[in-house]
Amino acid sequence: MNTSSTLALKNETKTVNFKKYLLRGCIAGLFLLPLVWMDLQTYLTLMVAGLSLGMLIFLIASGLTLIFGLMDVLNLAHAAFFAFGAYAGYSILNLLNPLGWVETGSFLQSIISLGLALLVAALVGGILGFITEKLVIKKVYGDHLMQILVTVGVSFVIVEILKIIWGVNDEVVPMPMGFSGSSIVFGVFIEHFRVVAIVIGLMVYAGLQLILKKTKIGIIVRAGVENQEIVQATGYNISLIFTLIFAAGAALAAVGGTMMGIFNQAVDPYMGDQFLIFALIVVIIGGMGSVTGSFVGAIIVGLAFNYFAYLAPKLALGVNFMIMAIILLIRPKGLFGKD
Amino acid sequence: MTQTPTLVEKDRMDERAKRFKSPTFNLQLAVIFILAVAPFIIPSFTFMDVMAKIMIFAVVVASFDLLLGYTGILNFAHGMFFGVGAYSVALILYYSKSPGWHHILLAAVISLVISIVLSLVISFFSLRVKAIFFAMLTLALAEFAHILAVQWTSLTGGEDGISFVLPGIFNFSWSGPTFFGTQMNGRLMVYYLILVCAVFLFAGLVRFVRSPLGRVLKSIRENEQRTVALGFKTFGYQIYAIVFSAAISSLSGILFAMWICYVNPDSVFHTAIMVNILLMVLIGGMGTLYGAMIGAAFLIVTETWLPSILKAGASFAPDVAIIQNLSDRWQLYFGILFVLVVMFFPKGVIGTIRAMLGQKK
Amino acid sequence: MSDPILSLKNVHTHIEQHHILQGVSFDINPGGATILLGRNGAGKSTTLKTVMGLLPASNGSILFKGRGINKKKPYEIARMGMGFVPEDKAILATLTVEENFRLSMLNENEKSHENLEEVLDLFPALKKFWKTQAGLLSGGQKQMLAIARVLVCDHSLLLIDEPSKGLAPIVVEQLGESLIKIKDKTKVILVEQNFNLARQVGLDCFILDDGHVVYQGLMEELAKDKALMKNYLGI
Repeated sequence: MNTSSTLALKNETKTVNFKKYLLRGCIAGLFLLPLVWMDLQTYLTLMVAGLSLGMLIFLIASGLTLIFGLMDVLNLAHAAFFAFGAYAGYSILNLLNPLGWVETGSFLQSIISLGLALLVAALVGGILGFITEKLVIKKVYGDHLMQILVTVGVSFVIVEILKIIWGVNDEVVPMPMGFSGSSIVFGVFIEHFRVVAIVIGLMVYAGLQLILKKTKIGIIVRAGVENQEIVQATGYNISLIFTLIFAAGAALAAVGGTMMGIFNQAVDPYMGDQFLIFALIVVIIGGMGSVTGSFVGAIIVGLAFNYFAYLAPKLALGVNFMIMAIILLIRPKGLFGKD
Repeated sequence: MTQTPTLVEKDRMDERAKRFKSPTFNLQLAVIFILAVAPFIIPSFTFMDVMAKIMIFAVVVASFDLLLGYTGILNFAHGMFFGVGAYSVALILYYSKSPGWHHILLAAVISLVISIVLSLVISFFSLRVKAIFFAMLTLALAEFAHILAVQWTSLTGGEDGISFVLPGIFNFSWSGPTFFGTQMNGRLMVYYLILVCAVFLFAGLVRFVRSPLGRVLKSIRENEQRTVALGFKTFGYQIYAIVFSAAISSLSGILFAMWICYVNPDSVFHTAIMVNILLMVLIGGMGTLYGAMIGAAFLIVTETWLPSILKAGASFAPDVAIIQNLSDRWQLYFGILFVLVVMFFPKGVIGTIRAMLGQKK
Repeated sequence: MSDPILSLKNVHTHIEQHHILQGVSFDINPGGATILLGRNGAGKSTTLKTVMGLLPASNGSILFKGRGINKKKPYEIARMGMGFVPEDKAILATLTVEENFRLSMLNENEKSHENLEEVLDLFPALKKFWKTQAGLLSGGQKQMLAIARVLVCDHSLLLIDEPSKGLAPIVVEQLGESLIKIKDKTKVILVEQNFNLARQVGLDCFILDDGHVVYQGLMEELAKDKALMKNYLGI
């Protein structure tokens, strides 16, 4: 009796696992499909482009999913943090450029100026997130509707402040010399900055996983998500921890903004809105709250967008909606969403 | 054979008997009368423009409120449906050789079909999962519509938008004498069309909320599980509400386009419009319908005159760059107002008044 | 005797509109275990949560080691040396056993690792499941973990809320043995419905009823007073 029920349970988990792997396999297989219409080199070129776009989107989506997954807050001011970060990074690069560190100079100088820009953007985004959480978000925990409304208002305010500081026009962002240009490796066309984007995206993903899974802070954060009372009674200031998570999410958005600004070599006050749509799709596909889900979702969206932009340019944006619809039909909570 | 009426029936009969005697009814008549004679009392184009926009947005906001306030569903694509209506009338009138009445009707039918189908699809996809999903999905969709309108240049003219000419009576000009200083022309006819349609649509919304269906919606908002337990399929009722409000939003989009005679992606599809609609609902009060009028009036009036007031204020300190900047960015104050209203005044004007009246009793 | 380690004076606590604690006063002296008894809804758990700062006291004063802690946040109180084991097997189910312990170590140093060794000697079963998710443990193991994780820190006062709830009699017996060892080292305030366990562990006791303290005395004396027990505890 007992053994048979255990067996049944085992079988059930097996089918569930099988289904999961089948789904993942199908998705992976789908990405070989474009090979039918193009040669291998184009395919690989587009793959690099898609991966880099995916990593850039991941930077935005990770902050969104982090804040949602850990704090159960849907933060629609995320796009504003993104744009603000992009402008902060732009300012730093603009400041360093006359010194000969950005569009000229050595590779090391390029790395330093990029690092500095990202650091300042993260700081600015973090401070902005910190203030927002303290002033506004703290009051609306647990009420999704209020959170959505209030963050819409906050995003409006931040974009207006951005316009007061930097003006309303598009600005050109200087690209660090060490990362500009492109090479052709085995016939595959690779822009250098795309590689940087992929590296930074991977670093952020690995860093997030490491922090959440291995460090003390990660333990406290995960514990706080599960049961605030215990964590408080153990001796941790949970409200400060939540503020810091929110700030970290905002900082990630800001880093993503700077990267995107350099990538496009342009910033404008509404740049966040265009990428928020990608981030939302990615978070929905990946499952809300899952960092790994966002990572996979971002790669899917980035690749699909690039392949379709090549094969059928008009459909490129629509295809992401199609993917989202299909995934929602099969798994209503997203690929990695918790049931 | 007279049966004693049940409690509900009695309630309804009471309500019917009082319908045309209540102070609210007189207030409604007064508002309609004022709107009808307004163009002749203050013969200024800006004023008429403001009045027309208030009427249109009162309907849009009320239909949004039907969803947000009465069912608790936040539909970020509401502004998109507005844009669908606007673009459908604009495109049809622009591409037809000799635009006529039937083209406007055609546009109405087309936009209704599009918005009903779209809203059905969205609700089937997302409402099953979680309300928050619906918000995210509709937000993504609304952004998508904006990008589509910008990029599909061969059809929509891209960022430049489309200007078009209205047919028949809406386009005549009268060279004769003016009435109380107001020119009789096509604009005035459109104004009255808007008035009639707005009253009609608004009455439809009020009727919808008062209907048994509206009662179910309210109970879903208060406690969805209990409503399910009472035997209602809440999912179906929510879809009714979404579809109905989307349809009304797209119809008011048609009125808006006809009033401006021009559409572009930013004027009808931009998120800023959605933010405005949200702010109007919040100021007027969620779940009150009539609050939509107050919210729309407040926002449109300030939007029209606040920038010039700020400019005038800033002219006292012409050399201080920050003050000049702050006066240019009047939308900043809207944003701050928005956050403050959500946090400290969540009932809005009508909601607060009702709460105060309720306390007095 | 020495100064009380914890003293409550006329403490009132409201949860929403309900007035739960209606003027609770008592002094708790160091040493041994003090038991809080009372019927369901008498306010025992509320008392512990109020002391811990998880519920705000609307009136009255709470002194811990002679310092007022009414206005302090729970984490500040915890860092002053008060440990709290909430009811219903308060562990973090998504974390592993190891992570549960690491969470409790406010400062990870040699001392805390020594403590950990001692604690694991007390609850050897936990060592076996070191890398297991705590949510997968049995009910008894979960309760052991809930208590053990608090012991890792050097607390001067432990608040333990109904550890025996929902456990098999044999497990309760083991638990009792552990609690006796614990109270010899650290002062414990124990909320307990299982009278046998309470008698085994406790030195003195307070009975709460309707948000008031209605009895205070030694456990042994209470056990003799059948009328009192029937009246307030229904035994």
